[in-house]
Amino acid sequence: MTVEVQTKAKLPQLSSDKQLTFIKLAVLSMAAILSFATRLFSVLRFESVIHEFDPYFNYRTTRYLTEEGFYNFHNWFDDRAWYPLGRIIGGTIYPGLMVTSATLYNIMQFLNITIDIRNVCVFLAPFFSSLTTIVTYLLTKELKDEGSGLVAAAMIAIVPGYISRSVAGSYDNEGIAIFCMLLTYYFWIKAVNTGTILWATMTALAYFYMVSSWGGYVFLINLIPLHVLALMALGRFSSRVYVAYSTLYCVGTILSMQISFVGFQPVQSSEHMLALGTFGLCQLYAFAQYLRAHLSPANFELLFKALCTTLLATLGTAAAVLTITGKISPWTGRFYSLLDPSYAKNHIPIIASVSEHQPTSWSSFYFDLQVLVFLFPAGLYFCFSKLTDANIFIILYGVLSIYFAGVMVRLMLVLAPVMCIVSGLAASSLLSLHVKDIEPKVEKHEKKKKHENNLVFRSEVGAVFVCVLGCLLISYVFHCTWVTSEAYSSPSIVLSARAHDGSRIIFDDFREAYTWLKMNTKEDAKVMSWWDYGYQITAMANRTVIVDNNTWNNTHISRVGQAMASTEEKAYEIMQELDVDYVLVIFGGLVGYSSDDINKFLWMVRIGGSTERGAHIKEADYYTGAGEFRVDSDGSSTLLNCLMYKMSYYKFGLVYTEGGRPPGFDRVRGAEIGNKDFNLDVLEEAYTTEHWLVRIYKVKPLPNRGV
Amino acid sequence: MSLEIESMVRYASPINPAVFPHLTLLLLGIGIFFTAWFFVYEVTSTKLSRDLFKELLLSLVAALFSGFGILFLLLWVGIYV
Amino acid sequence: MACTSANVVKCHCQKKWSSVTMPAMAKIQFCFTFILFIAINCASVNVDNISSDVKFKNVDRTIDLSSQLVKISQKITLENSGKSPVKSFLVAVEASSKNNLAYIGAKDSSGKDLRVSETTVKGHDSAKFWRVDLKDALNAGSTVVVTSETVFTKALQPYPTAITQQEDQLVKYTGNLYVYSPYQVTSQKTNVVVVTKGIESFSKVKPFSQQDGAIQYGPYPNVAPFTEKELSVHYKNNSPFLTVTRIERLIEVSHWGNIAIEELIEVEHTGAKLKGPFSRYDYQQDLHSGPASVRSYKTLLPASASDVYYRDTNGNISTSNMKVKKDSVELDLRPRYPLFGGWKTHYTLGYNVPSYEYLYHSGNEYLLKMRVIDHIFDDMQVDELTTKIILPEGSVGIKLNVPYPVTRLADSLHYTYLDTKGRPVITFKKSNVVENHIQDFQLRYTFPRLLMFQEPLLVVGFLYALFLLVIIYVRLDFSIHKAEHQHKD
Repeated sequence: MTVEVQTKAKLPQLSSDKQLTFIKLAVLSMAAILSFATRLFSVLRFESVIHEFDPYFNYRTTRYLTEEGFYNFHNWFDDRAWYPLGRIIGGTIYPGLMVTSATLYNIMQFLNITIDIRNVCVFLAPFFSSLTTIVTYLLTKELKDEGSGLVAAAMIAIVPGYISRSVAGSYDNEGIAIFCMLLTYYFWIKAVNTGTILWATMTALAYFYMVSSWGGYVFLINLIPLHVLALMALGRFSSRVYVAYSTLYCVGTILSMQISFVGFQPVQSSEHMLALGTFGLCQLYAFAQYLRAHLSPANFELLFKALCTTLLATLGTAAAVLTITGKISPWTGRFYSLLDPSYAKNHIPIIASVSEHQPTSWSSFYFDLQVLVFLFPAGLYFCFSKLTDANIFIILYGVLSIYFAGVMVRLMLVLAPVMCIVSGLAASSLLSLHVKDIEPKVEKHEKKKKHENNLVFRSEVGAVFVCVLGCLLISYVFHCTWVTSEAYSSPSIVLSARAHDGSRIIFDDFREAYTWLKMNTKEDAKVMSWWDYGYQITAMANRTVIVDNNTWNNTHISRVGQAMASTEEKAYEIMQELDVDYVLVIFGGLVGYSSDDINKFLWMVRIGGSTERGAHIKEADYYTGAGEFRVDSDGSSTLLNCLMYKMSYYKFGLVYTEGGRPPGFDRVRGAEIGNKDFNLDVLEEAYTTEHWLVRIYKVKPLPNRGV
Repeated sequence: MSLEIESMVRYASPINPAVFPHLTLLLLGIGIFFTAWFFVYEVTSTKLSRDLFKELLLSLVAALFSGFGILFLLLWVGIYV
Repeated sequence: MACTSANVVKCHCQKKWSSVTMPAMAKIQFCFTFILFIAINCASVNVDNISSDVKFKNVDRTIDLSSQLVKISQKITLENSGKSPVKSFLVAVEASSKNNLAYIGAKDSSGKDLRVSETTVKGHDSAKFWRVDLKDALNAGSTVVVTSETVFTKALQPYPTAITQQEDQLVKYTGNLYVYSPYQVTSQKTNVVVVTKGIESFSKVKPFSQQDGAIQYGPYPNVAPFTEKELSVHYKNNSPFLTVTRIERLIEVSHWGNIAIEELIEVEHTGAKLKGPFSRYDYQQDLHSGPASVRSYKTLLPASASDVYYRDTNGNISTSNMKVKKDSVELDLRPRYPLFGGWKTHYTLGYNVPSYEYLYHSGNEYLLKMRVIDHIFDDMQVDELTTKIILPEGSVGIKLNVPYPVTRLADSLHYTYLDTKGRPVITFKKSNVVENHIQDFQLRYTFPRLLMFQEPLLVVGFLYALFLLVIIYVRLDFSIHKAEHQHKD
């Protein structure tokens, strides 16, 4: 790319140097602006609104932080969630996201830019992806050259795998974490290349920011030691790496322990042991090199063997003792599922029930990365062909993240940047290789050309190749825009559909229900719903919930699952025990909204039955004899009489949903419901939204004695 | 002391709100052009070839046009300052 | 009607309830609340005597109970039976309903507004009195016709207080069968308008007659002053019982040709409470289901209103329609959910109007003439109104004229885009507001036109400072290897 620019016909007033700077500035700033703009689809189509579920929690905590200040936030005990347990917010979150937006908000308030905190939250992720674009340029520039940097920056600006978590309104940790991660990598590469304490400390600071913002920092703190180990194995370990890693580990670990949610994990949990071990190994390696320089080879050999044996023995016993006494935490379930994709599904239903913890399908690789999938191997080849310390790092990063992305859909996010970087390298190298072939024909002398032209149609081949690659890149742009606009830009809090005449129908039922709860129920009312809606209820309706999206207490969630899966009488006992005032269910049968509670119901049964108190709930009871999950008259009677069924279909049996169908036809399941005529004994309908998407029931008080 | 309403005239904006978009594009366009010129000059010129007067002049023109451009941009999007 | 009366009332109000001018800074310093009305009018508390010369020869009274408000209009034939001319007379409101009174006004026979001012009478402390000044003095022996109009809020009690979804709302009105007057009333008739056929019960004092939708009482001859006798009507009233519990009206003036208006509104259905479940199925079955509930209501905005938004703390409320009419913009606002008795909602409604509709100037002197409150829905009742006017930064010499007494709060400063020392904010409050209060206030201030350049120059200065920083930055050299560096150059 750079070559192309330099050799082009020169404008008279600007030197090629100036042209180059200008084009670099222009490309980079346009990529940064583009990465911001392409994430605004949902704001333009709907409004500036927070999306999905987790972002609502982040939004609520951020609002609390701006209103109450950092210390109150740090000490915040939230009694609106996990009733009656509550939740210590300050100690159970990564505060980086909230602190970032609160800081931005306060700075803008100071400058009299009176922008709403909601808007700060909505636009934070696009803003940080602009920054990511710039960091990607810097990182790729360190790896190869500026040309590759620009291509990589342009690619990451629109890569769907990253956009999926960073559209405007998707106010989640990942939005800023990817920026932190790439920043850390950039500083790390800088530190390895220069071997200065300055860059290593910068790495540690960036690492601290990363730790404060996302649990995915574990990936980072394992990748960097792996890089060091790889360098050792390849005999590239030098004082530069030693300085960089030792500084990073010491400063970074101490800093990361300041986050109360992380605490002493960096020195206790098994996920962090690789970093610690590598740190120790670095010291030993350096010490050994020092000794080798001062001792005779024979003496050194002897000493080395003796030291090795004792060290390994002590370390082994220490590790064993600590694991047995529980000082080193056992491997958590989420980590096991990284190594063995089927682990969670077989053992922990709550982890398996989350869609983003599912293994990735091949199609979603193409969907999220498109042409990058093909450019990536080419990029790896270019990395291998000119091996440097930095290239080894990017190869490791690429290979590892491909594995992890294959295990968990969510980690596609970690893969996307490295895909862009490596593909950027590939595209840039390929282009400059072939553009060079086209150019000589125009510029160079005939004689020279004859000598050079040992390949027939060299320039034609070059031209064709450039065209093909150009087409691929253009198709990448179209694909990315299409994916962003179609798949990743719906706020999911507002649904829209096309009417028969092509006009747009908006289903705003969620906010309708939450606003109703907020305005028309008692301030301290407790709302029971499936955990998916917990964060939204606390944020939008400002009411206490029994369980929410922070699924830390399996038995509590299981209790709610049991209530939903039991008959009315049994459920009433549980609801009395949990002090529930209102029950909220999502029901899509009228409009055909498929991710409603009936479709999630089997998870409630599984999770409900996974604990001791719910042992009487068996999944098999909810299937028909043929092992099907049906809501029509063939369905199992346990299902047709459980609380969830009754709440979803109360009075639904009277409604005509589709022409030519009997009343009570469920448009999601495509069946006429089996149990139509029933009354609720312990609940009464408190509110149902316009399209029946959200139904709220009030738990009746205990009947008076003797009545 | 105070004037009666009959002797006053209706107050309209000194600049017709209909031309805010055009003014924004024009002024910001010129502003960005000079800003780019300034930055390219800053980055490419060396210690010896740098001319302080030219720098100051360029930045002043860039700031003037961008500043008014931003003002009209704000007015255009509905932030009436 | 409301418009013309507003103009006339305002003209003499300017003299009477003129505002107090203070330097802007002093206003900020003194964080006290002062009541204009008390400050000016009650400082010299009006005390009147009941003249024995005045008689009400005939009173035709109409009590309109068809909405949530009680609107009483009395056509009074006034007679001067004394010797000397009479310039004014008193109207009274009984102790039981004086707290519900939202508005009182009087007109002469040609429809011109008469001046009405609050007063007291010795020995009648419980009742409230207003003195109506006649245009021309009433000579001895002659008569004049005056129409007085009063509006009461919250005078209708839902009875029963809670109903189920399908039931009609029944309300009870309790008032005075006779005209409550400080004077002898020779003859009087009362017409109670309820518009519905569903009258459960009403006081039966002969002579009376009942036609569909109305009850006539009277004529009753020679009723002594201050006579009270209970009149109660229990009837079906499904008109929307909506109360605006709080409204904050924000008017932001920009000299770049725009006035932005934002209203933060809290609404509650104050009719009979909903008892038992809410069934969406029944509610969707037919439109007559839930007769006492409110599905939507109409808000009228000025004809020049543009960029209308309607949202709450959770985002846009996507269910509303806008119709541009000749003399107004009609908004059909649908709250997120239908409002049943006891249910509340809140929302923000905002729009822009061009400055030339409401702002006048002569040199650096400016005059803002706008409504204190605008229409929210028909027959609205507002518990608490706060109006805030934000003037451009640098406005001085602020003088406020209001058409009726309000509580003025301390002035404050508002900081927003491109502000340095803050924009002055004028705030005043009024409780118990009805449609008759849709009248104009006038706000005068001085604003040097050159100050308009302050905002763009601020941006220019900021950008220039940034550029200067760059210029300085490229000249900085922290390198230790000086020699090498020079060599490079």
